[in-house]
Order: sequence, then structure tokens, then C-alpha cells
Amino acid sequence: MPLRVNPNISNDFFAELQIVRQQQNQALEQLASGRRINSPSDDPSGAASLLENQAQADQVDQFQKNIQDVQPQLQAADSALSSAVSALTQAISLGVEGGNSTYSPSELQSLAQQVSGIRDEILGIANTSVQGQFIFAGTLTNAAPYVLNPASPSGVSYVGNSNVNYIELSNGQSAAVNMSGSQLFSNPAGDIFGALQQLITALQTGTGVPAATTALSQAYSVLTNQRTFYGTTLNELNNSESFLSNESVQLSSQASLIAGADLAKVTTQLSQAETATTALLTSQGKVLSQPTLFDYLP
Amino acid sequence: MSSLFAAMNIAVSGLLADQAAAEVTSNNVANANTPGYSREVPVFDETPPLQVGNLQFGTGVDLATIEGDRDNILNNRLNQETQQQGKYDSLVNGLQQIQALFNPAQGTGLGASIDAFFNSFQQLSTNPTDPTLRQGVLIAAGNLASSFQQIASGLGTQQQSLDQSVVQQVSQINSLTSQIAALNEQVAAVPAGTQSGSTLLDQRTQLIQQLSQIIDVQTIDAGNNSVTLTTSQGVALVVGTQNFNLQAQVNPATGFQDVFAQGSDVSSSIQAGSLGATLQLRDQEIPALLSKLDTLASGIATAVNTQNQAGFDLNGAAGGNFFVPPAPGPGAALNLTVAITDPSLIAASSDGTIGSNGNAVALADLANKNIAGGLTPAQFNAGLVAQVGSDTAQAQTQQQGADLLVQQLQDQQGAVSGVSLDEEASHLIQYQTAFDAAARVFSVIDTLTQTVINMAGAP
Repeated sequence: MPLRVNPNISNDFFAELQIVRQQQNQALEQLASGRRINSPSDDPSGAASLLENQAQADQVDQFQKNIQDVQPQLQAADSALSSAVSALTQAISLGVEGGNSTYSPSELQSLAQQVSGIRDEILGIANTSVQGQFIFAGTLTNAAPYVLNPASPSGVSYVGNSNVNYIELSNGQSAAVNMSGSQLFSNPAGDIFGALQQLITALQTGTGVPAATTALSQAYSVLTNQRTFYGTTLNELNNSESFLSNESVQLSSQASLIAGADLAKVTTQLSQAETATTALLTSQGKVLSQPTLFDYLP
Repeated sequence: MSSLFAAMNIAVSGLLADQAAAEVTSNNVANANTPGYSREVPVFDETPPLQVGNLQFGTGVDLATIEGDRDNILNNRLNQETQQQGKYDSLVNGLQQIQALFNPAQGTGLGASIDAFFNSFQQLSTNPTDPTLRQGVLIAAGNLASSFQQIASGLGTQQQSLDQSVVQQVSQINSLTSQIAALNEQVAAVPAGTQSGSTLLDQRTQLIQQLSQIIDVQTIDAGNNSVTLTTSQGVALVVGTQNFNLQAQVNPATGFQDVFAQGSDVSSSIQAGSLGATLQLRDQEIPALLSKLDTLASGIATAVNTQNQAGFDLNGAAGGNFFVPPAPGPGAALNLTVAITDPSLIAASSDGTIGSNGNAVALADLANKNIAGGLTPAQFNAGLVAQVGSDTAQAQTQQQGADLLVQQLQDQQGAVSGVSLDEEASHLIQYQTAFDAAARVFSVIDTLTQTVINMAGAP
């Protein structure tokens, strides 16, 4: 006697239908999200890589934001220094002019007044603030770094500090983002305010103008030297930014490699599942409508 | 000596037997779709012959027994696999709920909160005195704490509901074992080979299968159609006509309901069925995840506190605790709280001056330091998600395997016990034909009897 088969096939049918429907759902989910990994169990190690990739991408985004946020500060500092430089150029030419022995004392007085005006202008520049932050005060950014002080030989005193802030440009790489007034205007190698005061006094007294002018030129060249810091840093930030946007692109293409759905494959799977469903339903319909022996009983 | 009346009786026995067989067939057809029904087969038997001199005369037919067609070994195997199926069904169900808590696909998970928290320090470093950026750090920290709380309390809630389901499942087990014990008693009382005996056996098989969904049960044939049921570790559930109730009792050490049998805790011995899965999720899976989550939360909190203390706040004072320091033991994730509400207390400065950002950079850099179980927070979180994912995937694979096996065994069981309508129709025709023939035989013998009577009455 041949092996008896299970006369009730609907269980098998339901199980098969379930499997095919599951495949269909999975394919639809992948198509809808465009992702191969829709929950960690779809690919546990892929899901973990995806998270680490996401953490890196978030960090890279933040580094880019860091750069965008400090760029305006640096640019403001650079342009403030550029005005200081042109004001100083003017002061130096006034000094050269004053060194001319044909000038009368009253003419020298008026030159001294002009230089004094320039000194005030530069004092204003040294006390530049961006969004309430005094950018040449080191890290004492809440107060103007230069205050008038008649007792001091330079006429001002520096109340900031020489501390420097660094921001991170990428993991492990950072850049200084400020330079203190003590480096720029009160540098021991060339004190701008001291030299200006010296020039004013020299013009007022009519003695030692050439020496004072030389001292100012010296301080001027120190300032222009130091100022290159901003240009260099801005350059560095630009480089970092393009490096970071490259990295960001790479990370996101990595993420789609890890989690992206292979659309061609998924579409094929979907149509296969649809075909299988149709075949299953058709065959089950046929089987169910098959007559039994009872149909032939008289 | 033979007699016409004996022949008549034989024909009647055929009529009766065929009629009874048709009844069995009719019952089979009626129960074609009854779950757990085993098709019944009428077993015909010759009645004892009559010895007359040297001759033996048959005395007709008898419907000896009605046998249920079932394969007990197959049923036992089906029960075993049903236990695995019950276990993995519940396990997958529970793990999928857990997985949803960790799902990074939604982009708002714990991982994103961790990234955002450390990046907020990075952002602060670009302008350490900006009150908006300081507030931003506190908001990101609050989000981080609530992400931890969300997952931890989600796990806690699930643990509680699993705990309640232990009580329900224990009472289901008790109800099933008491019904099985009662059936053991009834089966013993019913004479073998009757239709009602087969029905009772079917009922008991069904109940044991339901029990197998819940707990790993072993069926031992105790003779006389009675069965003894124990768990696979030998805890008695039904012996003869007596069932042994399990009890759910609170274990003071854990605060959860444990399963007790005759006064001793048998929770850890329950391996399969939905109860096995419930206990595994409640006592192993969830506590392991909670403890990892605690490691991550307390790692972050401790490192951030230490670094914040190394710096200076906006007022130039030394920094304090950023998070409320996590208490030792479990609960670090659930109870993670930001200690400061005043944004100026964030210690961004490394030297006490207001505009210094050194400590903010150092705080941001903690994202890349191995501060959680020897890994960076992002790596640790990724590992946690991978673990949840692979546990779920593994359970799903095993569930599919168990489903397939159960389906195959059910097919085999159906092949033995299922009702085939074609078969029943052919049996019916067979019995009808035999009935017709017996009736015809009866009427011929009747005619013969008439003839004999007429002979006697002839003038």
C-alpha cells in the first residue's frame, strides 16, 4: 500500500503563503526605505558598522560647523588688523614727514595731533569685539584688553592675557584661533602703542622724530608679521573644510554600501514573491475545488 | 445442524456491522476538520464458529473495536518540537520588542543622542561664553539622559509584563494538567476500543500539545492508556489521575515571580515552551542589556564629571559634577540626571579665564576616549545594538527551523490520522454494498423460510 499523504493540505498552504508574504513584505520595506538594514536583526554587524559610521559622520559635520563658526571671527580679526596696518602706514609717513627739519613747531604739533588720532584709532581696533567678545584679549574676552593709563610709558596698559584657544578641525588635529593683543600690539619686539607714544612726544618736542619713526616701523613690521597668523589659519581652515567634506561624502557612500538596498535585486525579489503568491493561490484554488469521490456517489 | 434462522441471524449481524461501520465513517466525515481528531477505523471480526459434528459453521460478523489511527511516537516528537516552537515564538516576539528600543534606523536612537551630546561641547568650544551654545549643551545632555531613560524604562516595562505573564502561564499549565489528569481517569474507566475512548485520547493529545506550547513537557506511557507528564528536568506535572500544580511566588532576591513545584524553585530548570522563553528574556536577556546600558551611562557620566571638575565655569570657579554621580549597582541608565541647570556652570575653561575653551574641547574629546567598558561610547553602543540584533536574528532562524519541523511532523501526523474524504467515500460505498447484499441475503432466506412454512401448511 502506498504511503498515505496528509489529506489536509491547508496547513502547508498557509505556512507557504506566510513565507511568501514575508518575503514580499521584506522586499517592500526595503524598497520603501531604500535600506537593506531596517532593524538590527537584518544584519547585526552591519547595523553596528552603520552606527559607528553615523557617529563619525556626526563628528565630521560638527568639525565642519566648528570651522564655519570660527571663520567669521578670524576674518573680523584679519580685517581689523588690516585697518590697523593702513593706519600705521599713515603714521609712519607722518613720522617721515615730521623728520623733515624744515617743519615749524606748529606744523609738528599738528602732525603730533594726527598721530595721536591714529593712536586712538588703533586703540579702538585693538579693542575690537565680535558678538561681545574682545578678540584680541587672549581668553579674557569679556573686557576691553587695552585701557588708557597715563602712568604707563605707552599711555595704555594691556589687561588681557596671552592665552590661546584651539578648536578641533578633525580627530587629533586642532588649530589656534586667536592671537592676543600682547602678541600683536604690545609685542616686546615692537610695541605699537609705545612707539606711537614715542612719536607723539617726539613730534611735540621736535626732537628724536627719526628715531621714533624707526621704532614705529619696527613695531609695524612685527605686527604685519604676526598678522600672517590669521591668513595662514584661514587657509588651514579652508583646506580642512574641503578635506572634511570629502570625508563626509566618503562616509555617506560607505553607509549606503553597508545599508543601502540593492534596488535591482529587491525589485526582482518582489516580483518573484508576487509570482510565487499567484502560483500558490492558483494551485490552492485548484486543489480546493477538486471533486472528491463523494461528488460521484449516486 | 444448520438452520435457516441461523442464516438469518448471520445476515442480521452483517447488517448491524455495516450499519455501525457506516456510522464510524459518518463520524470521520463529520470530524474531517476537527483539530486533533484521529480518524477512526472499524475493525470487523468473525464471530466464533459453531461446531456441528465435523462441520464448522460461521456465525456472522461482529464489529470488534473502533480504533483511532494515531502514532504516539510521532505525537511525542511533535510535542518536543512544539516546545521549541513555543519557546522561539515567544523569544522572537520579546526580542523584537527589545530591538525596537534600540533601532538605529529611526535615527533618533541612543547613538544619535550620544553624538549630539559630545558635539554640543565641540560647538561650545567655538565660542565658550555664548549662552545659547551653553544652553545647547544642557539640552543635548537632557536628551541623552532621556534616551537612556527611555530604553531602560522600556526594558523595565517589558520585564514587568513578562513577569505578569509568568503568573498567567503557570495558571494555564495548572489548568491543563488538571484536565489531563481528569482525562487519565476517564480513559481508564472507558472500555478499550470504543469510540468515546478514542475521543478522550484525542482530547488528551490536544491538551498535551497545548501544554507543550508553554513548558517543556515529557510524556511517559504509564500503561493502561494513562500517561505521566514531567518537565524535561523531571519535575512531576501529572502522575496517573493526580496533577501537581506549579506555583508562582515572588523571589525576594529579584522581586520577580519564580516558578515553584512542591516548595522548591524550579524556574531555572524550565528550558522550553513559552514559559522557558519568558523566563529567559526576563532573567537573562533583559538584565544583561540593562547592565550594559548602565555601564555605558555610568561610563559617560563619570568621565564627563571628572573632566568638568578639571575645568572652570563661566565665573572662574572650579567645575563640579555635570551629571548626578551614578550610584553603584544597577540603575545608572534609568536614573541618569543632569546635575546642573545653570548653563554658566559648564566648565568650558581650562585656566579659569572666561574665554578659554580648552576644557570644552577636552569634554568633546571624550567621545573618542575609551570611557565605557574599554570602548568609546559610540563603539559600545554599536556593540550593544549588534548584540540585540544578533540575538534576535538567531532566535528568528531557530524559530523558522522549529516551524518547519513542526509543519513536517504535522504533515506526518496528518498522513496517519487525518481524514481523507475520498477514502471515507469509498468505505461508505463498500459498507453500503455489503449492507445491500446482506439485506438481499436476508430476503432470500426469508423466501426460503416462507417456502418451508408453506410446505408445512399444504393440505
